[in-house]
Amino acid sequence: MTLPALSDYFIPEQQSELIELLQRFGENAMIVAGGTFVRGLEARGLLAEVEALIDIGALGLNGIAADSSGVSLGATTTLAELKRADFIQGDAAFGAVKDALACPPVQILNVGTVGGCLAASAPLYDVPATLLALDGTAHVTGAGGAREIVLTEFFTGLFENALQPDEFITALRLPVHAAGTTSAFLKLETNANDLAIINVAVRFTLDEAGLCRDARIVIGGGVGECYVRAGGAELELNGTKPGDDSFQAAAAAVAADIDPVTDHRGSEEYRRYMAVVYTRRALARALERLR
Amino acid sequence: MKKLIRLNVNGDDHELAVSPDETLLGVLRGPLDLIGPKRGCDSGGCGCCTVQVDGKAVYSCMMYAVSAQGRDIITIEGIGRDGELDPLQQAFIDAGAVQCGYCTSGIIMVAKELLNTLDNPDEDEIRHAIAGNLCRCTGYQKIVDAIKLAAAAS
Ligand SMILES: Cc1cc2nc3c(=O)[nH]c(=O)nc-3n(C[C@H](O)[C@H](O)[C@H](O)COP(=O)(O)OP(=O)(O)OC[C@H]3O[C@@H](n4cnc5c(N)ncnc54)[C@H](O)[C@@H]3O)c2cc1C
Repeated sequence: MTLPALSDYFIPEQQSELIELLQRFGENAMIVAGGTFVRGLEARGLLAEVEALIDIGALGLNGIAADSSGVSLGATTTLAELKRADFIQGDAAFGAVKDALACPPVQILNVGTVGGCLAASAPLYDVPATLLALDGTAHVTGAGGAREIVLTEFFTGLFENALQPDEFITALRLPVHAAGTTSAFLKLETNANDLAIINVAVRFTLDEAGLCRDARIVIGGGVGECYVRAGGAELELNGTKPGDDSFQAAAAAVAADIDPVTDHRGSEEYRRYMAVVYTRRALARALERLR
Repeated sequence: MKKLIRLNVNGDDHELAVSPDETLLGVLRGPLDLIGPKRGCDSGGCGCCTVQVDGKAVYSCMMYAVSAQGRDIITIEGIGRDGELDPLQQAFIDAGAVQCGYCTSGIIMVAKELLNTLDNPDEDEIRHAIAGNLCRCTGYQKIVDAIKLAAAAS
């Protein structure tokens, strides 16, 4: 056994059962959705304390529902289901999600889940960066009832988030975006399937005067404990006419918004430089989507 | 503590007592003696443990056996019929796409999902589909050729 403290594996069929299990095992409970992150932790010997594995696949939390106020992605919706979903196909606003879903291998898309990629809370992942840029909100439930956590407040540290030990994600909600909204995502990696050296998710809306509004620029990868909202760059972009000059200026501001790390994948300097380059390219890609 | 589970693999039902943290790969290669799926990185990067679960390619090293209950699991051993090779297996032989063979079963299993979804995948689609599988011998060209050959034959 590689999980020395493990006592049992549960497959609850009711949310109330899951909450009871989470209360009973507290910090030593481990939810398993697709299991792709969990198994990675286990392989690194990081789950020595886990007493209960809890598969949430039988709770019926999967499925995608769109209505006039937005789209709701059930927590156990797989990334492959999201990739195939009608709502992201032709809509420029969801272009970033589509871009990011081109990154993971099919074997990960087939089992990895929306809830799992968020709850893993790894700023090195691609898909969550795009959900952040689209103003996603996690819907969660626990012993104290249901609540909503906007993703900007959800990620609190490396592998850490705002969930209480008895809480779990039931769905991720993406709001409807104004007409003229577009988004894009780009990843810099050393080789296929590697974690991002840096990644960039951008979104903006062209208003009736043809100016950029409501910009979101999210940088992930080796940028520290959490994704970074490049607030300075967003300010720089808002109100400008989209094009090479404004994209260059906004992208340049990213350099001051981030504090990247140095590791075997790249130095701080390289990451800072490439974050600027990739932001400019992502903005151009997003604009191209509106054409 | 062991858990009693039922798995359906290649059309056969099995009842097994497994440790709750046993992976699907561990059960396939251990008690079920299906050694076609290989253990490589054991953390979802190399692809040689790929099998199909409900028609979808998955890394069997990343799935707990307990969670694989009630699903339709197919390994490389289960894709030929009545002693005949699957067209993909035959194409890998015909194209000379096998060298050491360690990655082969995983790549065939991921290619099977591709050919079930697309009749005539182009080179990019094929390369994208096998991006989660490493081959350290062939440089991939003959693998891509084999998948094209199988697509053309079917
Ligand atoms: C080889 C490989 C390549 C990858 N490539 C990419 C890539 O290119 N781009 C990318 O973005 N990502 C990539 N990933 C990451 C992948 O997206 C995540 O591993 C996956 O989405 C996690 O989902 P899961 O359902 O498997 O999570 P699990 O492993 O089941 O769970 C992840 C974490 O979340 C918790 N959890 C799960 N569901 C819930 C819930 N509903 N409520 C509360 N907690 C929950 C679990 O307890 C665990 O801590 C890759 C992963 C691997 C292994």
